[in-house]
Amino acid sequence: MSEAPAIDLRDLRKTYRKGRETVRAVDGLDLVVERGEVFGLLGPNGAGKTTTVEVCEGLTVPDSGEVRILGRAWRGGEDDAIRARIGVCLQETKFHENANVDEVLRLFRSCFDRGRTVDEALALVSLQEKRGARQKSLSGGQRQRLAVATALLGDPDLLFLDEPTTGLDPQSRRQLWQVVRDYRAQGGTVLLTTHYMDEAQQLCDRVAIVDRGKVIALGSPAELIRSLGAEHFVVADLVDPDAAADDACLLALPDVVAVERRGERVECTVASVHTALPAILAALEQRGVAIDGLATRHATLEDVFVHLTGRHLRAGGEA
Amino acid sequence: MRWRVVKAVAWQAFLEFWRSPAAVFWTYGFPLMMAVVLGFAFQSGEPEPVPVGVVDSPVARTFLAPLEDEPLLDVAWLSPEDADRALGRGRVALTVRWGQEREVLRSDPSRPEATLARLLVERRLREAYSGEADYARPAHEVEDRPGSRYIDFLIPGLIGLNLLGAGMWGVGFNLVQMRVGNLLRRIFVTPMRRSEFLAGYLLGRSVLVVPEAFAIMSFGVVLWGVPFRGSLLAALALVVVGGWVFTAIGCLLASRVRTTEAVGGLMNAVQLPMWILGGTFFANEGLKGPMRWAAEVMPLTHVNRALRDVMLEPGTLLDVWAPLAALAGAGGVCFALAMRLFRWQ
Repeated sequence: MSEAPAIDLRDLRKTYRKGRETVRAVDGLDLVVERGEVFGLLGPNGAGKTTTVEVCEGLTVPDSGEVRILGRAWRGGEDDAIRARIGVCLQETKFHENANVDEVLRLFRSCFDRGRTVDEALALVSLQEKRGARQKSLSGGQRQRLAVATALLGDPDLLFLDEPTTGLDPQSRRQLWQVVRDYRAQGGTVLLTTHYMDEAQQLCDRVAIVDRGKVIALGSPAELIRSLGAEHFVVADLVDPDAAADDACLLALPDVVAVERRGERVECTVASVHTALPAILAALEQRGVAIDGLATRHATLEDVFVHLTGRHLRAGGEA
Repeated sequence: MRWRVVKAVAWQAFLEFWRSPAAVFWTYGFPLMMAVVLGFAFQSGEPEPVPVGVVDSPVARTFLAPLEDEPLLDVAWLSPEDADRALGRGRVALTVRWGQEREVLRSDPSRPEATLARLLVERRLREAYSGEADYARPAHEVEDRPGSRYIDFLIPGLIGLNLLGAGMWGVGFNLVQMRVGNLLRRIFVTPMRRSEFLAGYLLGRSVLVVPEAFAIMSFGVVLWGVPFRGSLLAALALVVVGGWVFTAIGCLLASRVRTTEAVGGLMNAVQLPMWILGGTFFANEGLKGPMRWAAEVMPLTHVNRALRDVMLEPGTLLDVWAPLAALAGAGGVCFALAMRLFRWQ
C-alpha cells in the first residue's frame, strides 16, 4: 500500500448539465501524483481543475475513469479510511462567525481518531496568538491559515489546497507558502490548484497544465519553461506603432526564437538576453525605429500556457 | 440622487429575485396556494356552532332544553367536574348551570368566543322564557379560578409554540446556512459520519429548548399564578421530546434545500398551519372534518394537550406516555428520513 502513488487518476471523465447544455468539465484526464511532492494543477477558470480536485476529495462522483487516493478507491467501503488520511482546504469555507479559532479546531479534531493536537496545528500555521479570537475578527489571511490548520489536524498524508491564496495580501501568501513548505519537508504530499504562476513556480515540484478537461503539459516548472526553447523575453515599446519593424528581420537575429506584436509592443523570445539584446537594438536603430521603453523578463508558466493554447491563463482576470 | 443608478440597482434587485425560483415560489406561489387551501377550508358558509357545556341535572334538562334548539350552539351535557374541566381546557366557551332561581353562566371573558356564547345563550333563554312572570336574566360568573382561565390555557400552548419555533428554525435555518457557506462540504471530507453530525447538531439544539420552555413555564406560574399540578418529570420529558420532534422536522426540511429563502418558506409552510390549528390559542377539539384530521396529525396538538395535562391537571408520566411515545416516534421517523435525504452539498 505504501508504494501506491498519492493520487492516481486514469481516463477521468465528468460532464455537467447546465440547462440544455452539457458541459464536459473533465474529458479523459490522466494524472499521477507521487508521494512527497507538491503538485500544482494550473489552468484557466473552467479548465476542470476544481472538478478534478473534488473527484479526488470524494465530493464529486466521476462519470467514468479510475480514481485511487493513497492506493484506495472511493465508494469501495474505504471512504472513512481515505478521509482519515487526507486534509482538505476548500476554495472558501465559512466557519461559524461566532466560533473562536480554538472551537473550530476542536470540532474538526474530534473527527479524527489520531492526529495533531490543537496546539500543534496552531503552531504549524502560526496562529497561536489568535487562539481565542472569533472568526469575525480574523483577517482574510488568518482565516485561510485557520482553514489550512483544520486540514492539518488529522496529520494527513495528502493535503488538498484549492486556490489557497486567492485574494490574500503578499505577506499572507508568503506565510501560507511557508506552511506548505514545512508540511512537504515532513514528507507530506500536496495537490495545489492555483492560477498564480509565481505560486506554482515557488512551491510546486511538478505541475500539470489543464485545459478543457485535459492535461496539456506536465513536468517541473523549470522543464515546462525550458520546453519553450528560450527562457527570456525582450520587450520593446515603439514610439510609432506603425513603424516598419518587420518581424522577419528580428526573427533572423541570432538567439531570437519568436517575435510577437501587440500594438506598439514587440515581444521577442530569446535564448540569452546578453547576446540578443544588443542585436535587437541595433536592428531597430538600423531601420530608424524609435523606442520609448525596453524591458527584459524571464519566461513563466503563463508563457507556457500561451504557447500551448494561444490564450492567456486568466483572460480578463487580474494581472 | 442619480436616477440611472437607482434604476440599475432596482433592476439588479428584481433580477436577483426573479432568477431564484425558490424565492419566487415562496413569495408568490405559496401565499396563493394558502389562499386557495384556506378558501376551501373556510367557505362552508354556515358559521361553526359555539361549544357550550351545560351542567346536567333533572331540573337543567327541563329548563335548559331550549338551548339545544339553537343552531349556533353546540351543547354538551356534562357533570359539574367535567364542565369545569372542559371550560378550563377551552373545549367549551362557557358553562351553564341551574342555580337557585335562575341560570348561572360561567366564562372567562378574555377567551375570544366567550362573549358570543354568552349572548347566544342569553338570547335563546330570553326567547324561551321572557313571557313568563318570574323570568330573570341569567347571572354571570367570571371564571377566575387558577387552572381554568384563558391564561392557564395559553401558557402551555406558548411553551409548545416555542418548542416548535426554536426547534425548527434553530436547526433548519442554520443547516442551510452551513450548506451555503461550504461548511457542510468541508465537514463531509473529514471522517465525520452523517449520523454523528446530525445527531450532535440535534442534541445541541434540542438541549437549548429545555431552559427556554422552563423559563416560560416559571414566568406563567410566578407572574400569572398558572398552576402546576402534575409531575415535573413528565413536563421535562415532554419538553425534551417536543424539542426532539421539532428539531428533527427542521432537520428534515433542511436536508436538501440550497438557499436560506427556500428553507424559510418551507418552514413557514409547515409552521403556519400548526400556528393556526395546533391548539395554542384556541382548543382544536371542536374542529370538524379535514381541519380536525389535520390538527390531529400535528405534533404541536399533542405537545400542547400533554403539557396542559401535566400543568393544569395532576398528570404524571403514566398519563402522557402515549403522546410521548407517539412524538418520540414521529421525531425518529423524521430523523431517519433526514438521514436518508441529507445532502452535504
